[in-house]
Amino acid sequence: MEAAPSIETVVQFGDGDSIREVPAPRLAVWLFLTSEIMVFGGLISCFILLRIAHGGWDAEAAHVHWRIGAFNTLVLLTSSLTMALACTSAKEGKEGMARRLRTYLGFTILLGLTFLGVKACEYSLEFAKGLTPGAGLFWAFYYTLTGLHSLHVLAGIILNSTLWIAAARADLVPVVQRRIEYAGLYWHFVDVVWIFLFPLVYLT
Amino acid sequence: MSQAAAQRKALQVAHLEELSFIRKYIFSTDHKTIAKQYLGISLFMAIVGGFTAYAIRWQLAWPSARIPGVGTITPDAYNTLVTMHGTIMVFFVAMPFLLGVFGNFCIPLMIGAGDMAFPRLNMLSVWTFLVGSLILLASFFVPGGAAAAGWTGYAPLSARPDLTPAVLGQDMWIVALALEFSSFLMGGVNFITTALNMRAPGMGLWRVPLLVWYEATASVLFLLSVGPLIGGAVMLLLDRLVGAGFFLPAKGGDPLLWEHLFWFFGHPEVYVVALPGFGIMLEILPVFSRKPIFAYRALVYCALTATGLSLIVWAHHMFISGMDPRLATPFTVTTILISVPFAVIVFAMIATLWGGSIRFDTPMLFALGGLTSFLLGGVTGIFLGSAATDIYLHGTYFVVAHFHYTLFPVTFFAGFAGLYYWYPKMFGRLMNETWGKVHFWLTMLAFQGVFMPLFFSGIAGTPRRVFAPNEYPLFKAIQPLQVHATIATVTLLLVQIPFVVNFFWSLRRGKRAEANPWLANTLEWCVPSPPPHANFAHTPRVRRWPYEYSVPGARLDWSPQTESGDTMLPAAGGQ
Amino acid sequence: MQEKSAHLVGAALDIRIWEWLVGLLIIGLMVFVMPIPKVVAIGLVFAAAVVKAVLVVRKYMHLAAEHWLLCVLAITPVVLIAGMAIALSPDIAFRQ
Repeated sequence: MEAAPSIETVVQFGDGDSIREVPAPRLAVWLFLTSEIMVFGGLISCFILLRIAHGGWDAEAAHVHWRIGAFNTLVLLTSSLTMALACTSAKEGKEGMARRLRTYLGFTILLGLTFLGVKACEYSLEFAKGLTPGAGLFWAFYYTLTGLHSLHVLAGIILNSTLWIAAARADLVPVVQRRIEYAGLYWHFVDVVWIFLFPLVYLT
Repeated sequence: MSQAAAQRKALQVAHLEELSFIRKYIFSTDHKTIAKQYLGISLFMAIVGGFTAYAIRWQLAWPSARIPGVGTITPDAYNTLVTMHGTIMVFFVAMPFLLGVFGNFCIPLMIGAGDMAFPRLNMLSVWTFLVGSLILLASFFVPGGAAAAGWTGYAPLSARPDLTPAVLGQDMWIVALALEFSSFLMGGVNFITTALNMRAPGMGLWRVPLLVWYEATASVLFLLSVGPLIGGAVMLLLDRLVGAGFFLPAKGGDPLLWEHLFWFFGHPEVYVVALPGFGIMLEILPVFSRKPIFAYRALVYCALTATGLSLIVWAHHMFISGMDPRLATPFTVTTILISVPFAVIVFAMIATLWGGSIRFDTPMLFALGGLTSFLLGGVTGIFLGSAATDIYLHGTYFVVAHFHYTLFPVTFFAGFAGLYYWYPKMFGRLMNETWGKVHFWLTMLAFQGVFMPLFFSGIAGTPRRVFAPNEYPLFKAIQPLQVHATIATVTLLLVQIPFVVNFFWSLRRGKRAEANPWLANTLEWCVPSPPPHANFAHTPRVRRWPYEYSVPGARLDWSPQTESGDTMLPAAGGQ
Repeated sequence: MQEKSAHLVGAALDIRIWEWLVGLLIIGLMVFVMPIPKVVAIGLVFAAAVVKAVLVVRKYMHLAAEHWLLCVLAITPVVLIAGMAIALSPDIAFRQ
């Protein structure tokens, strides 16, 4: 190791502890996701607990637009597919990988933007009815949970966009090829959060 | 090193020489520089926190008198002082000093790495921390002043903007804390990944120095515990800004929810701070006893056990909060249990000293002072962990004395120990030993003088966070205790001056340090003082456990981790 | 499910997983609109969500093939949150 160790190098040291074989960025992303599970898990627990305390909030919950939520769920699940396809093509590294990767990643970004656009329309529908974050505890939770989730979607879109832009340059394609796995982990996590948020907020 | 590699290395070094002042010292990605940046910020914040302590204590000793340098303070201002004292000391002094400084500086060097796994993320973490610190300091100067709902920020005092004068100040408090949490989340991910992934060849997990184990474990604990409070902070901010009502009974919320969320993090937080402090002491005691650390593997298991247990003890802060009384017994049991790993740590420290050839240099004095003071503080925690006695003692000065007798040793005694110990490695010079000893003895004695009286004040029932307890006839007779504590506080603050002078004077005029002034085994002592940018000229090959001191039959009483022989060779091409 | 898809790799596997995810979504929506007792509906919908999440985590995030420590990192916070929620329930959910 002449220079500072490359974080993308997987080296076997033969000391018996296998954790060294996990590339540093992958370990780091999972550590980050651990803390994120605690954040969303904490908020979701608070929602469930207070909802039980207040007898279910059925009257308030009747005003959520479950069809819009279902559509958005389909959008996000499909974006997970396109992200997975982008990562798979990066891993396989076959002929035309860069173009395929950019196509799938592009669709992921577009679907993510669709999700946010639909959410924005949904919020404006609710605002028009006077259902703001200050309109009661159910709505406070609704906006906090879906708002925080949407911010995470936005961050993912930005992250994916930087990779998409970089992949246009031939010299940066190998870098994107290595790093898209980590963007994929984050994006799938954001999808998993929504997989739980959707039924929790819309279907109960 | 091959010819081509040597040329690349030389070019890299030459390129580094060309780095501008800004890239080398301000926007640096070098873990050693980042550690020093954390040091600068935390020591400055310690002065601010110390100043708030001075004002608090003066008010308590001579209520409603004019505080020199401050003026008279109102009860609201008193609340702000105690809030900011706690917030600054825990989040903006203890965390950066113990994790930011020693985690950043020591982990890569001790494991034989050239830097952290993610140097740019490291830079982002210290800059995020700086922005958070500046926002917190700025909150002193906004209309209404800084936050005033306690460092614990209990609702509804914190959740309604109309209940304290600090409207903007409390919002800024939340934002500053959010930034501090983000900073240490980033740092924590860096520490854990580096410690697991970037160890030199031959450094299996059971050859990792205890400081690295304890810093990494503390980072894991922080990672696991801070999440719900981040959610809680968002909820609190929404309560304040749009009247969301999460913690407001009038809107259907529950103030107790905030307490649970806060302490679910708040208790692990004190171990996040304590573990690195112990890690520092555990590095220093063997070196200055010339003896191996006692029960190394048990100490590792203690750190892991303490981490796990600390996640299930939090409600011992809430015994009289009005929570369901059925929760009291389980949390009493878990709290008493958690004293076990810490007792083992203390016993192991004592056993390390037993029969050793003790050298009472300044780092050792601070480590010993930390050990003895913490022992006293830890024992008093047992009264607080048991619900029955806590019902009487909660909210009194007994609690204040207990947590200062644990947090102060862990932050300042251990922190100073580490600073005097690693100063030569950081700055290439030795601090003045005589003034170091003066600093230690005066600090140690003054510290006892501040907090020992407060145990008795608390047992007598004096409530904390009260502007003027002597207004109650019940406490008039013990007012002298408050006066003694204040005189000792002023002394404690003033005797830090020799340290500050010593620190800056030694930077320029201290005796030049060689690579290994303490004759210690760990890898950081194999490189020059201070180390070059890439730390190691060649990747070290680790052949030993770090605590082989006074091995029978060896030529020297210490054995560096890299050598199978027993003399230390300077790194090739280094110095 | 494992056996049926065992021969699929790469992009084909990704698409097959997506088909399962959409299918579970449709099942969840059907359960929601059906006139069954609320508790049963919530249980089924939640079960569907868990299966979807496990599919994404195991197959898209490749946790099934990873070092055991990463599985610990994923499961520990879930256990902690569940424990915290249980500890908080007497105070917050079932307050008299």
